[in-house]
Amino acid sequence: MGISTISDWTGQIGELVIGATRSEGGTRSRTLKVGGEKDLNGIGNAPLGYPAVVAYEIADDPDLWPAVARHAVGDASSDPAAWARFAEAEIRPDLIRLYCTSTRRRGFSDCAAIRKTVEEVLQATSLPISIEGSNDPAIDSEVYQKIGEAAAGERILLGTAEAGRYRSVAAAAMAYGHSIIAQSPIDINLAKQLNILLREIGIPRDRIAIDPYTGALGYGFEYSYSVMERIRTAALKGDEDLAMPMISSAVDSLTIKEVREAEGEDADRIAVAWELYAMLPAYLAGAAIVSVRHPETVPLIRDACSSLFQVHPGGGE
Amino acid sequence: MASLKPLDIYKLLPKKNCKECGDPTCLTFAMKLAGGKAQPDQCPYLDENAKAILGASTRPPIQKVKIGVGERSFTLGEEMVQYRHEKTFIHEPGIMTAIPDTMPGDRIKEITTDVRDYVLTRIGTDLRLNGIAIRCESGSPGEFSRAVEAVESVADLPEVLMSTDPVCMEAGLGVSGNYRPLIHAATHENYQEMCRLAKKFSCPLAIRADTLDSLADLSSKCATEGVSNLLLDLTSPSLHEVLNRTTAVRQHAVTRQTPALGYPVFLDCAQPGLEDAFLVTGVAKFGSVLVCNPLSQPVRKALLVLRQNIYTDPQKPIQITPGLYRIGSPGKDAPVLLSVNFSLTFFTLQGYLEASRVPSLMLVVDTEGLSVLTAVASGKLQEAMVKEAIAKFDLGNAVSHRKLIIPGYAAPLSGRIEDATGWKVLVGPRDAADIAEFLLQEWKP
Ligand code: B12
Ligand code: SF4
Repeated sequence: MGISTISDWTGQIGELVIGATRSEGGTRSRTLKVGGEKDLNGIGNAPLGYPAVVAYEIADDPDLWPAVARHAVGDASSDPAAWARFAEAEIRPDLIRLYCTSTRRRGFSDCAAIRKTVEEVLQATSLPISIEGSNDPAIDSEVYQKIGEAAAGERILLGTAEAGRYRSVAAAAMAYGHSIIAQSPIDINLAKQLNILLREIGIPRDRIAIDPYTGALGYGFEYSYSVMERIRTAALKGDEDLAMPMISSAVDSLTIKEVREAEGEDADRIAVAWELYAMLPAYLAGAAIVSVRHPETVPLIRDACSSLFQVHPGGGE
Repeated sequence: MASLKPLDIYKLLPKKNCKECGDPTCLTFAMKLAGGKAQPDQCPYLDENAKAILGASTRPPIQKVKIGVGERSFTLGEEMVQYRHEKTFIHEPGIMTAIPDTMPGDRIKEITTDVRDYVLTRIGTDLRLNGIAIRCESGSPGEFSRAVEAVESVADLPEVLMSTDPVCMEAGLGVSGNYRPLIHAATHENYQEMCRLAKKFSCPLAIRADTLDSLADLSSKCATEGVSNLLLDLTSPSLHEVLNRTTAVRQHAVTRQTPALGYPVFLDCAQPGLEDAFLVTGVAKFGSVLVCNPLSQPVRKALLVLRQNIYTDPQKPIQITPGLYRIGSPGKDAPVLLSVNFSLTFFTLQGYLEASRVPSLMLVVDTEGLSVLTAVASGKLQEAMVKEAIAKFDLGNAVSHRKLIIPGYAAPLSGRIEDATGWKVLVGPRDAADIAEFLLQEWKP
């Protein structure tokens, strides 16, 4: 008989490339590819697509960052370039995701500093990077222009476009050859609408990663999980406006009550568990990029995803 | 109903539109049937053919199996769908903490006590680990039954007895066989003996084979022996293989392509280096009994919350009844806090209010189960309903002042609430964790 999984999908997830090497006009040591799947992640005898990309998140203004994530890297967090260098050497993610948290302070205006930060981070690490800019329409245009320009040629993943404010991100991405993260609040229709808006202003499909917004475990994850599955299965059924790779980020995980109220070692253990137990199901639900803030989560989520994706050596019976 | 679409079902209905099923038309009834929200026998006019087709496709395609007896026993199977957004997942997987029978009795008792007593209370629900799996590693019937006795001496928790040796199994069943433990495992080699034991003690039986075909064959053999309370052990050292097997089994079951695989799934998650990954995969992807080593506090919390999340119906937020809730014994000058009826919001706020030790009142309005921020963003929290709630729950008599503390996230509504209700609005903190400080510093009746 040969009973195996039933796959009657017709669609395929589009591919997205992050990072550019020297021969491609950038300075990264490698590029990352995501997408290409024709089924759910890890399903099939020799699954199509690429292994999960594990992103590690850092911030330029660490005071606006969860304490447990800051403490876990000690002094390295005081300067984004040092943090990125430390991350590449010690934490070894596939992708570094820099949040320009400084732009979220009231009255922020120092866009030149953002430019400098981006340049320094690009110098400090050769990993592909993703950058999160401001989230205030009043400064978006300048911030994204600066980030885009400073990273020109590096094919970064630029975040975050939302329904109400996507033009600045999109303009910077188009002008400097970057891709963008399109975020919608846990809703398949809103995700699709945003992708259509982006297409209409000229962003090609292969330059978009869908961020369906991931609520923390116990704080909205129950919705996020199913929305990711719905987006992925809609794409596999042929909806091209949803057939982009997804990024899932454990953003809220380290600010929930359980983590905040834990102390010392316990705080690290619970932080890691909370990130791992949300990001791994997110991968199962269809995310291609999983993004975390605690350094110890990085190897755990990587091992877990690669054992789901690959046939175990000697295993498989 | 995995295979039939509303229109297919409609074609089978009498098309009288007589409303006797409780629906206005046959078509709406068909849609309910398709969504699993109605039963075929609600229509009195179905012909035999329709009954047969609809009956077969509304009966759960996965066998119901119960493990254990009494308060902590649990039920598995009866699942209908591949994805929880199609309907919902029904029976949460049981998490069974494994101990080897070679472990000293005291340690066994300690672990069993921990599993018995551990409880994590979230959004008004008690989340627990489910039971104990006893592995026969000694190969000795005496050792095995001694270990089962140690477990039994502490708690009447559901058990998995793990041995492929029928002699050892019978020894274990001699101790706890009357309490419906899961027998693990029958193989092609020992199934006749194991089936005999399963029948003798009326216990569910887990079966194991190298491939899904071989497993389907084995389940048919066991059914022929008269044992149909089966679980399929899909464990493999490769997590990739596990994911593919659990997915295939669920697909073949819910589409009824391979009824011999229509049983709940057993996974031994105690795999070196990857236990978390096995557990997560088991919870998200169709596991029903998950065996694991004793779990650290952080991991068990995350696991239980993940299980709760995956087994919550994504279409219906867990809600609480709108009303006026008292924290401590509030007097006439106690503060009143406006909040929403999403259970997570309610219990979070309630927890912090209790910790603040300031007696207070929570005025909970009906946002259809949406959180504060979500309700504000979607317009489901409005001044009119606040006004209505004040009147309905007679807040004016409960307190002597006319002040209402609203959530920080509802700040944009403060003016409108003030105008609509005539109560003075104080905007509270965004995060309920700051509520104690806020009340101490800002609250004056
Ligand atoms: C899960 C979730 C959903 C779920 C709904 C869950 C639910 N039952 O409410 C779903 C998927 C359905 C959803 C839908 C939408 N969502 Co939504 N959702 C979330 C998410 C991830 C978590 C919400 C949550 O559970 N919070 C936890 C609870 C406990 O928080 P809370 O109720 O606010 O309570 C806290 C405080 O307010 C305070 N508090 C509570 N009561 C009181 C009372 C007083 C007096 C005080 C002082 C304090 C206080 O205590 C609590 C703990 O601190 C948030 C993101 C986030 N980080 O918050 C987005 C979020 C709230 N959603 C958002 C949006 C836009 C929507 C939609 C409008 C999108 C859409 N589809 O159109 C819809 C609206 C719903 C609808 N019917 O149309 C946005 C809101 C943007 C904004 N800033 O206004 C958010 C922030 C996501 C984002 N970043 O874009 N959402
Ligand atoms: S009872 Fe039967 S015939 Fe009458 S409306 Fe309902 S489905 Fe149609």
